Amino acid sequence: MSFAVGDPIPEWVMASVSPERMCTMAAILRDPNPIHWDRNAVNSLPLGLGKRTINQGPLGLSYMINMLHAWGGPDCIRRIVMRFPQVVLDGERVVARGEICVLREEQGVTLADCNIRLEHAERGVLLEGTATVVLPRAIPLMSSLPN
Amino acid sequence: MTDKAIPAEADITRLTGHRFPGGFYTVAHWENFLLTECTGAELLPDGMVHPVALFHIPIIGAGTSIAEMFALGQAESDLSIMIESYDWETFLPLREEIRYCVSGGITSAQRCQNEQGKLYDRIQFCFEVHTPEETLAARTTITWHYTRNTL
Repeated sequence: MSFAVGDPIPEWVMASVSPERMCTMAAILRDPNPIHWDRNAVNSLPLGLGKRTINQGPLGLSYMINMLHAWGGPDCIRRIVMRFPQVVLDGERVVARGEICVLREEQGVTLADCNIRLEHAERGVLLEGTATVVLPRAIPLMSSLPN
Repeated sequence: MTDKAIPAEADITRLTGHRFPGGFYTVAHWENFLLTECTGAELLPDGMVHPVALFHIPIIGAGTSIAEMFALGQAESDLSIMIESYDWETFLPLREEIRYCVSGGITSAQRCQNEQGKLYDRIQFCFEVHTPEETLAARTTITWHYTRNTL
């Protein structure tokens, strides 16, 4: 198997964002923000979201982590930088996607800098950012091979 | 929501350099199990902690809390905080039942104005997680916007 700039990362799907998982996460994080567990609190906001709970930012990010782990292995991630242009709501189907932007060697390992994002079919990109991932050894860099 | 007085700019900017007490955090197996389940993934091998823990390990381990971080920036309410970005760097995989040493503080605090002319305060927190052998395992940067009179 080889990798090249522009290669897509196999997508990872969260079929339905769970409000129950948001509650568990809120307890573990000691997160007092009611938007994660109280639909009425969200409904009271002037955002037009209705009676839905809003997924924690780290949970949305975790879907992209899962995508990267499935692709590069459980200890492949070196860095993730994430922005949050839109909220993720309970019940939504979201898909983590990404592609390789840069391949480079550093201290004996092959690193892939990737653009990653979380998408919703109607609302578009909900989260977006970059990740640096260690690729398995002995994989030739397509960009470094002679044409 | 009722309007709340916007804090003085000096009260925000002087937060730069604020340090949390620091402390330790150990991820128990049950915690990693529940966290990982919340993400929709299977447990990682060899007691590796799911990286989603890089949000709360630094905060709680450094001796603070989400509630205190909201309060430091004089958040109007829990609902007024917007995320600008999270930056998570991993140098070693985190593992269950390891007692990590955590430090952290506020690296930047400034008053800003958005394109609509609304004021908000941009506060950046940075945390470091070290192994018991004092090796840097992770560094995280949280940047939040404390919106004012927008709700």
